[in-house]
Amino acid sequence: MGAYKSSRARNRPLTIISIVGAAIFFLVYLLSSSPSTAKVTKRPDASVGGAKSIIRHQLNGLSASWNSFENKERVLILTPIARFYEEYWNNLCNLNYPHELIEIGFILPRGREANQALLRIESAVKALQTGPKKNRFGKVTILRQDFESPFSQSEKDRHALSGQKERRAAMARARNSLFTTTIHPQISWVLWLDADIVETPATLIQDLAAHDKSIIVANCYQRYVEHGESKIRAYDFNSWQDSDTAAQMANEMGEDDVIFEGYAEMATYRTLMAYLYVPGNDVHEEVPLDGVGATALLVKADVHRDGAMFPPFPFYHLLESEGFTKMAKRLGYDAFGLPNYLVYHYNE
Amino acid sequence: MSSLIMNGNPFPHPSQPFIISPHRFQSRSKSQMLRRLPVRRILILACSLASLLLFFFPTISTFAGSSLTSSLFRDDPLITTVHHYDLANSQGTGRGWERNERVLMCIPLRDAAPHLPLFFSHLKNLTYPHSLIDMAFLVSDSKDETLLLLNTLLERMQNDKDPYMHFGRIEIFEKDFGQVVGQGFSDRHGFDAQGPRRKLMARARNWLLSAALRPEHSWVYWRDVDVEIAPPTIIEDLMRHNKDVIVPNIWRPLPDWLGGEQPYDLNSWQESETALQLAQTLGEDAVIVEGYPEFETWRPHLAYLRDPYGDPDLEMEIDGVGGVSILAKARVFRSGAHFPAFSFEKHAETEGFGKMCKRMGLSVIGLPHYVVWHMYEPSVDDMRYMSEMIQARLHKEKEQQEKAKENNNKDESDRMAEAAAIAKAEMEAAKQKELSSSSGESPLQEAGKETDPLEIYNSPVYFLDSVKAAEVRAAKQVAREIEQARKEAEKKAKEAASEANKDKKDGKKVVIAKDDA
Repeated sequence: MGAYKSSRARNRPLTIISIVGAAIFFLVYLLSSSPSTAKVTKRPDASVGGAKSIIRHQLNGLSASWNSFENKERVLILTPIARFYEEYWNNLCNLNYPHELIEIGFILPRGREANQALLRIESAVKALQTGPKKNRFGKVTILRQDFESPFSQSEKDRHALSGQKERRAAMARARNSLFTTTIHPQISWVLWLDADIVETPATLIQDLAAHDKSIIVANCYQRYVEHGESKIRAYDFNSWQDSDTAAQMANEMGEDDVIFEGYAEMATYRTLMAYLYVPGNDVHEEVPLDGVGATALLVKADVHRDGAMFPPFPFYHLLESEGFTKMAKRLGYDAFGLPNYLVYHYNE
Repeated sequence: MSSLIMNGNPFPHPSQPFIISPHRFQSRSKSQMLRRLPVRRILILACSLASLLLFFFPTISTFAGSSLTSSLFRDDPLITTVHHYDLANSQGTGRGWERNERVLMCIPLRDAAPHLPLFFSHLKNLTYPHSLIDMAFLVSDSKDETLLLLNTLLERMQNDKDPYMHFGRIEIFEKDFGQVVGQGFSDRHGFDAQGPRRKLMARARNWLLSAALRPEHSWVYWRDVDVEIAPPTIIEDLMRHNKDVIVPNIWRPLPDWLGGEQPYDLNSWQESETALQLAQTLGEDAVIVEGYPEFETWRPHLAYLRDPYGDPDLEMEIDGVGGVSILAKARVFRSGAHFPAFSFEKHAETEGFGKMCKRMGLSVIGLPHYVVWHMYEPSVDDMRYMSEMIQARLHKEKEQQEKAKENNNKDESDRMAEAAAIAKAEMEAAKQKELSSSSGESPLQEAGKETDPLEIYNSPVYFLDSVKAAEVRAAKQVAREIEQARKEAEKKAKEAASEANKDKKDGKKVVIAKDDA
């Protein structure tokens, strides 16, 4: 009997502690139950109110014009970013449009790689915005998207045809999330600048705006080294003029099929702006386009305000920036490209 | 040691010899299991404690969940120009009012001054926490005092003594798009005007949204001002369904002689085969508009499916939506859905918005038995008919009075008049009472009651009721006509009198002339 008792007694401290703990917890819960439920249904704090909370905006006088610089027009630079390149950031900071008139918007995907990019953006932005006043940008908004991106970011994966539809659709959603939440009434221009554009003229904004077009895109090339010699090659094939072949293809396609440019499996015979570059020709030569790439794309904010967005679904068999061009055309806007005005893509 | 002894014998005694009963299997009791694995025991205890804590104090999870990245993803209070938003925090759930989800209320306005007082009374009554509601008004092409009145009413609302009446950020945008057609009922609802009109309204909606939407908004609620009756819980009621896009059923009250009530918004519908075939025959820029005999689509309309006693929570999948009252998750607009200002799959504006959402794989739902009442705006024909009715009644009453006069003796007439006056006063008092008590009733029942429009002209109660208001307008018109007719008659009489005088004078002159001759 004694052994039995002692064995129970040895167990006791733990059981007693747990029982007493549970009892106390239960009591505390019972006593605090009424206030704690009240907490859940508690009304959120009342806002400040007063006439200060009422803001009036006049949208009628908004201008987006060729002399954007003198008119002090605000420019919103938008970049979906998954990898951070130092060269991109330096190039951005070197733009000589007045920085207080520039607002920047980044959107990052979810995931580990993006978190590393975030860390680097954070430090870069912090350094700039606490630095000399004249270098600071008017406003920087950093968003993290609310959906998973289906794509991995390796160069090979990015360009495989099979994953293009999902990749471009996710990219379109990211772009839409970015501009719908950051455009505000004072913005005149939106510059879409991809995170891997590492070299542009410092006057990029003024140069593109000087054409006074609703949609205008620069020609995106890439620098590379061959046999110790520095050369350039065409990179972005999303800026094109439509062809009969492509129109024919679209007619025969199902509703959800998409035409992508730059794939041998899908020869469209479109006129690609990438190949219209003639060294030494006038950089301000314009060509009308039916599809644009968003690598360095300047858009009047009104085009987005009217509803032109980057379709994440096949719109006339086009996705993202190419679909955007089509939608803008349906809304009565025209798109142009500058074949001899080059910007450079990162080379990995 | 004791465990060895206990093996096989639950009650060992030290004085007893060592006994083993190998033929009996005894499973280990639970307490023994736990004692052998103290680690597991502690783990279980800790887990249950943690889950209990989490259950009763949900706020703890926010501390526990703050990982490295989310601690990084915060605004630095010292740098005012850099802002961080994790859009995953503004996706919208079915219980937004408990989770402090912000709602952006978008209200397009054009020449809407007469509707504003009623609209603000609706705003005041909203049960969704006001501080969580941001408002965006777009005032476009208005020629009346909409802007002035809006400002006054907003300032009064934001300076209310009760801080819980204050709304969040309020923005007013002014933008003129150039008007294609007028805002009168007949202008707006004519068939030919529909295509361009809808495209213009779509542009206005897109401008409003792009100017006002911010990363912190979880929901967007589109609301027209000319709504007569809507439940004050409407935002929560729609939100509870937790759908991407959801609309109630929109009806409108009508005068009794037109049937009392009518489905109003025919833009909420389900797609039909006929309509799809029709769409294929039309040009790229054509817009199918619902509710006109020119396009027979045979679509099931949300409006016609209403059962007054049906379950208000019943959901129905729809493809086109009407714009009177739309609740949508902000992420719908963030992912690119908007109101097409061009022909998207042969539709524009809100119907095109529904189509686009469907194309993007979002859920678009209508509630056939949950009703919001739009205002009744009489057409020109309705007004004419109404004034004719009033005139007929006045005429009849006059005849009756004359008859009564003829029948009465001269002696009794004084007494009768007195009695009639008293009776009339009593009746009026009773009517006033009825009015004040019945103001909360459905407009349909009120509209059904027999009231003299000339009498209600002075009663402000009726201005909350669009059918009554229309009748009052008709009555006013009739009164004006009668007055004019009376004046004209007087004028004529005067003219006739002066003419007669002239004639007399002329006659005299003629006589004098004759004399001279």
